[in-house]
Order: sequence, then structure tokens, then C-alpha cells
Amino acid sequence: MKPHARRLIAGGIVAGVLGALASTALAADIRVGITMRMISENGQKYGQMVMDEIGMINEAGGINGNMIQATLLNDECKSDKGVANANKLIFQEKVHLLIGSTCSSVTLPIVDVTAKAEVPQIIPHSTNEKITKKGSAWVFRVPVSGRYYAGVNAKYVGENIGKRIAYICAADAASQNDCEAMQAQMNSQHGAEAVYVAQVQEKEVDFRTHMQKIKSAGVDGIMIAALAETMARALVQSYEAGIGEEVRRIGSSSASNSPVPAIAGDAAKGVFFAAAYAAADTRPIARLFNEMVRSRYGIHAPDHDFSQAYDLVRIVEIALNRASLSLEDGDLAADRTAIRDAIASVKGYRGLGSGEISFCADPTPQCRDGNRTAVLIAYSKGGEDYVTEVLARVTMPEDFGL
Amino acid sequence: MDFDFSSLLAFIMFGLTIGVVYGIVALGISLIYSGLDIVHFAHGEVYMFGAFFGLVFSSQMGLPYPLALLAAMISIGLLGIVIERVFYRRLTRSGGGYTVAGMGMIICGFGMSVVLQNIAFLIWGADAEPFPVDLGPALEVGDITLPRSYGLTAIIAVVLMAALHLFLKKTRTGLAVRAVAANKDIAFLMGINVPLMISVIFGLACALAAAAGTLIGPMQSVQVEMGYLMLMKAFAAAVVGGFGSLPGAIIGGLLVGIFENLGAAYISPNHKDIYAFLLLILVLMIRPSGLFGVEVRVKA
Amino acid sequence: MFRDPPGGCVSAGAGGVGGPAGVMLKVSGLETGYGRVRILRGVDLEVGAGQIVALLGGNGTGKSTLLRAVSGLLPTWEGSIEFDGETIHRLRPDQIVRRGLVQVTQGKDSYPAMTVEENLMLGAHIRAGRREIADDLERIYGFFPRLRERRSQMSGTLSGGEVQMLVIGRGLMARPRLIMLDEPSAALAPKVVLDIFVAINRIRDTGVTVLIVEQNVRMALLLAEYGYIIRDGLILMEGEAKGLLADPNVKSSFLGGSVAGSEDELVH
Repeated sequence: MKPHARRLIAGGIVAGVLGALASTALAADIRVGITMRMISENGQKYGQMVMDEIGMINEAGGINGNMIQATLLNDECKSDKGVANANKLIFQEKVHLLIGSTCSSVTLPIVDVTAKAEVPQIIPHSTNEKITKKGSAWVFRVPVSGRYYAGVNAKYVGENIGKRIAYICAADAASQNDCEAMQAQMNSQHGAEAVYVAQVQEKEVDFRTHMQKIKSAGVDGIMIAALAETMARALVQSYEAGIGEEVRRIGSSSASNSPVPAIAGDAAKGVFFAAAYAAADTRPIARLFNEMVRSRYGIHAPDHDFSQAYDLVRIVEIALNRASLSLEDGDLAADRTAIRDAIASVKGYRGLGSGEISFCADPTPQCRDGNRTAVLIAYSKGGEDYVTEVLARVTMPEDFGL
Repeated sequence: MDFDFSSLLAFIMFGLTIGVVYGIVALGISLIYSGLDIVHFAHGEVYMFGAFFGLVFSSQMGLPYPLALLAAMISIGLLGIVIERVFYRRLTRSGGGYTVAGMGMIICGFGMSVVLQNIAFLIWGADAEPFPVDLGPALEVGDITLPRSYGLTAIIAVVLMAALHLFLKKTRTGLAVRAVAANKDIAFLMGINVPLMISVIFGLACALAAAAGTLIGPMQSVQVEMGYLMLMKAFAAAVVGGFGSLPGAIIGGLLVGIFENLGAAYISPNHKDIYAFLLLILVLMIRPSGLFGVEVRVKA
Repeated sequence: MFRDPPGGCVSAGAGGVGGPAGVMLKVSGLETGYGRVRILRGVDLEVGAGQIVALLGGNGTGKSTLLRAVSGLLPTWEGSIEFDGETIHRLRPDQIVRRGLVQVTQGKDSYPAMTVEENLMLGAHIRAGRREIADDLERIYGFFPRLRERRSQMSGTLSGGEVQMLVIGRGLMARPRLIMLDEPSAALAPKVVLDIFVAINRIRDTGVTVLIVEQNVRMALLLAEYGYIIRDGLILMEGEAKGLLADPNVKSSFLGGSVAGSEDELVH
């Protein structure tokens, strides 16, 4: 109900085909398929940003004279749609590279599809650890893996908040991972057992019984691992149940998404979480990025979904420039392998949000979880015009949490 | 965890406040079932529309909350009448009077559910919307904190049920509605304008769903996909109470609400939604027609 | 007095129905049925004002179908139905009721989950004026004192005779000008049947025209002035009630058993 007109149409719809228009047909196209969650306002806009950035690469002359032809499909954060999109892009559109998806629950099954079809897949937003643990040689993760987030969160919580933590864990793959990893880290770092754990639906609406139990149990903090809107509801209801601000609310990485402060309002204040990017970052590059997203897409403060999508396009650009591609129909498999190897050769890319992003050739989490730097962020103000502050920035060792 | 009495009271209160809302939606489903002989699968979406309308009237147009609730009920009631007249009537007619036209009606309900969801999606998008209603500070009762909205929900729900009861029992139109629900041919022979009464029934049921949506909005925020879970719970409530029975729908709603909260509190906090269906199975094992289902009505 | 089954030439019995001014209900060439099955195949029937007319026939002959068509519950496929000179077969059932043509169904069609009084009040649905309705309620209770005793009971708990009184009373609450009774004697004990028929006679005496559909041919013809016999969706015979009673064909050929049975019951 924001004033923006919503132009969204339900279902998987090709959002745009760019690139080919701008160039002559002399050079062949590099076909890139994208499947992302395009249902929320944010999702729609970072999808648009990916397309715009690719369009700009094409306008600037493309990749070694070749245009990128990008096809963007909406998977609505539903795994069946995501898998269908991946199959369509790989076997029908015959893409050289697949970008996707937003939600861990969707990305996980797509990893199997790309591994089998031998298509390089680069992931913009999913944090579930298992994505890279599957051992696929074709998968690369730009965002920070859940295992790093949990390590950073647990360290901060144990040292600054306390050890009596209650957990509310939603059923989606990212939240499940965040929840389990956090409990494991609290245990291994601080010897702390969970005070209360509740498994709830992905879109749970009523948390009051849990909050009452947590209130009477008495805790130092509540970890709410859930997708943005579910988390926002839980935050509001935690205050309704009379749990005061002295009990800290810890969010999973989706706390970074703007619906959390927008829906939770005042209840978002004080919530902290680990993410890959903080809009409160004061470095010039971050301020420039914030300004760019704000002016282009009208987003008050970009969350890490924007920064990761942006980083991803830059990494793709670097890799495609490095890969030697024939782009003949008969060389599809060879080109796909070349792109995979080129992505694996990207090292020390300076990400927008945090530290460096590096990949390597082994099909292991150490090589494929490219970003190891998590930023601890807290909301200092909720609502549509929310404000965040950066508590810490931590780069984790490669094999942390494995 | 150890037992403490004030928490138990809190769990029951939570169960009651959500249970009355299940009850109101179930009431609508039962009304439509007895009035139109259809199981209305799009009722969850009507509820969702009601929540959005309540939000628009309250937050965007600035009406006071009770007025916004009333406005949402009236507008959704009218919308329901339009849906019934334009879409459902053709189908109920082709079945020979207002009887079940087999699968056609069920599929039509599902189709309407998808259509309504997509329309809402086009208007409001997929993002959840907060529904802030400021009713003043929460009440502290011993160890329990009860936001005023919970109390207001319970009061409004009880008022709505009482009003519906009085309407059905004490007014001439209410009597006619009951007559139509029980037997349409005989109602016709009483000189009752049956098609009109059917519209009244459908409109009433939709208005009730809108009330439920507006009541739940401040508690759970408003989102296009909110209808599905409510539909499931309300169906459970309607079946527990005895499908088609109006007091049964209310009692069923309260039972489902309390049972799922107590289950989550004392059995296992995980996957609280299964308790509603556990209760459903238990009740059906003991009384296949539901608690208040007098007889198994054969609809043909 | 016999008609030829197909088509049929109408031979209105002498003095059966008065001139056009006296005709209250006129059914001409009526064809209707359920789905694609045609039940009535061209029925002609007239009811004169102030009369009791009986429509007689066994099970499945189309008696109730005719009433449903006249009431508007079934669409008229062919032919026409006029009430008081107005064509009514395209009206909705409730509009027909509002014109004073009221059908009383069998006793099992009361609203069993409503009280006796609620049932009676439903009968007055089309009327305005609380006072008059209350007066009429009293009148019905006077007519059927048993109903007053059971006014707040669910009608599902009434006996067969009581519930028959209830549906007749409910029909009268609409202040009809023509009341159509569908087998008021069905499944009732002989003593009760007699009570009901006495009541019907009194209804006519209050100026209400009556069309009675019956299987109990003897009782119906004793009550009525004029009778029609329907079979296989066609009027087979019609005539003055006395004439029909005496007609050997009526007794022996197709209704004999039924008449004899009733006589036996009445004798005992």
C-alpha cells in the first residue's frame, strides 16, 4: 500500500529480455538465466536492478563484443516453480549461466538441477549451509553462508547478551539453518543449551503462546529465525506478550529485509542480526550505492539483497570477461565449463558490503562460500523510515562451522 | 516446563481470542453451506479482502477502528452479493435449483479463491502490511499481559454473534433466512423471495468474514496469502462443531483456538497447526457428525 | 366422461365449472417434467371460485407435479396457467403466493427444527400488519387447538395428524384465496383423516377455494363438488363428484382397490 504502482503480474512471467536489442546480430549472445523471488516490492526491484546492470554492461559494449541476453523468471520463493524455471532456462533457453535463487528452499533443489545439467550457477541470496555442502562443482555463493552468520551472532550474543536464549524457528530452509547453526554455535562457543525452541510454519501468524512460555521461562534473548514478514509478526507479538526491551531480539539474516522494520514498526528497534551489508555503512562506496538504489528504485535504504545482487553482477562480469567463449551452438557445454572455471578464478573481489569475495576450484564449502565477512547490524529505529547501526564487522575463517 | 496457573489462563485467553475469530469465519462457511448447499472454498480469500478493506478504511481513510470494521463488513457483504449473483448463481441453478452441481461448484470455489488472491495481489502486492490500531496500553493481569485489542476482538465477536442470533431468531427476515437454509422449495411456498434470501445469506457470511479479517489484522498484519490458513482452521472449526450448525461453528472455533494453544503450550511447541486437525480427528472418531451435527444431512 | 388419452377433447361436465367469471384457476394444455423427463402431457383443469375441487390419482400419476407447476416450482414447458385471469406460469413461486395462490405440502414438509409458532409465522411471511397476523394466529389456534398446546415445541416432535394441521394452518396464515392441499390424508389414521377433512370443509366455508390432491378417492369425492382423475400425466376423467363416486369405472377399473381399502378402514 505504498504509493508506488505495482506492476507485478502473478506467476512466472518473463520480466524482460534485454541486450539483443542494443546490438547488431554480428556477435553471438551470452545467455544468462535468472530465477528469483519477484513477489515482494524489494524482490521486484532488485530483480530490476540485476537486469538494469546487465543492460548497462551491454550498452558499454558488452563482454568482449558479445551481448548478454538475460531472461528473468519469477519463482515466488516456491521450490517447484524455481525448479521449473531452472529447467526451462537450462534446456529450453540453453543458458550459459544460471543466476538464482533468492530463497534457500528454492536454491537447494536447483543445485541438483545445475549439477546434473553441468551448468554454472551463481547464487545471489541463499544462506543455507547445505547448498555448498552438496559438493556440486557448478555452484558459487555470493552471499554469506549461514554458518558464518551463526558464528558471529553466537559470539556477540554470548559475550554481550547472555546464554539463556529462546528460539523461534520457521520452517523455510534458510531459517531452519540459521536456527540450528545458532544453537550449535551457542553450545560449542559458550556451552549454552537452548531454553525454549519452537518450530513454526513458514508463514506462522500467531506466536502468543510461545511468547508467553518464553516470558515465564525468563531469557536473555530471543532468536527469531524466519522470513521477513513472519519475523515482523513475531517481534510485534513478543512485545504484546509483555516481554520487555531488556530481552534482546536476535534476527536471522532476513531481518535485513525492509519489511521487518516496516511491519514491526517500533518492535523492530533493538533487533540485531548478521547480514552481508548495512545501509548504515559510512564508507564512500556504500554511500554511493545507497544513493544509487535510492534514486533509481525509490528504496529508502537498500538491504543486503540489493548489495549481493549488485556484487553478483560484477563478479559475473569479471568472470565472463575472463572466460574464452565460442558461443557456437555446438560448444554450449565447453562454454559452460569455461564460465564455471572463470568464476572459480575470481579472487579478492572487494564486495560492497564487507570483505573480499573469493572462489576456488574445489567443490567444497571452503571454496564456494565466497563471502566470509558478516556485518552485525541493529535497528535503532523501526518503521518505513528505519535506521540501522553497525555493531561489528567480522571475517570468519574458511572452514568455520564445518 | 513447570506449570503455573496464570500462564494457563493466558493460553486460554489466547485460544479464546483467536477462537472467536475462527468461529466467525466458520459461521459464514456454515451459513453458506446451509443456505446455498455449497462448501465455499474461497471464504479464506473473502476474509483476506475483509482485512485489506479494514486496513484501507482504518489506516488510509482514517476511520475509527469500529467504524472501519463496519465499513469493511458492509462493503465486503455487498461484494459477496455481487460474486454470488454474477458467478455462483449460474452454477447453483444449473444443478437444478440451489443444489450441489457436483464438482463444478467445488472447482468454482477454488477458482474464485485463486482469482480473488490475484486481484488482491495486483492491488496491494505481496508484501505484508502492518495494521496499526492504537487502543491504549496493554492490561497487566498478574503475570499476563493482554493488549486491549484482544479484549476488543472478543467483545466485537460476541456482539456480532449475538446480533446474528437475534436476527435469525427474532426478525421476519431472519426466520425467512432459516427457512431458506432448511428447505428452499417450502420457503418458496411461504412466499419467501428465495433468490433474494440467498443473496442475503451470502452477503452476511462475507460480512462476517470481513469482520474476522479486520479483527485479526492488527494482531497478525495483513497479507494476500493470509486466507489459506484461516480457511483450514475455520473448516476444522465448522466440522468439529457439526457442519451447517451455527452454534456448532462458534463452539468449534473456540475449541480449535483453545486446543491448539494448550497443545502448543503443554504438549509440544512445534507445529502448533496440527492440533486443530488432531482435535478434528478426535471429534470425528467420537461423533462423526461433529459436536452439534444433529443429523447427517444428505445433500443432493 | 372419459377423455381420449392423446390430445383429448374437452367435455366440461354440465354445471361443473361456472362461466369464465367463476373460474379462479385455469390450467390449459400444461406440459412439464423433471430434467428431460416429461411428466404432464397436456393437462387441462379448472377450479371455480368457492369450490372444492379434487384431483385424484395413484402414485406417480403426476398429481404433485401439477401442483408444483401451478406453484411455480417447476417451469411450464407448454401450455398456460391462469389465476384470476392473470397468466402466472412465468412468475417466481413467491410472486404466485403473493397473489393468493398457496400450496400446502404434505405434513412431512414442515420445518421440523422450528417451533410450531415459527412455522405458522412463516406462513404469514408475505403479509404486513402485526395485529392482523396475531389475530389470524389466534384463529388458527382456535381451528386446531392442539397446535396451541404445542406452540413452542419443535414441529419435528408433532404427531402425523398434528403436523398436517400445522401445514394447513401455515397455509392459511398467508390468507390465500385458493389453497392447494397435497394429500392431506397421507399416512394418517382414519379418525384423524376425518378431522382433517372436516377442517377442509370449514376452510371452504370461510370463502377459500380449495384444490385437493388425494389418493383417498372416496373421502375426497365426498368432500368435493367436482373431481378430476389423472393418470400418466393426462386427465383421464372429470365430472361432478357425485357422478364420479357412482361411476362403476372409477370404482372397479383403476381405483377400485384404493376405494375399497378406504371403505374397510372407515367401517372398522
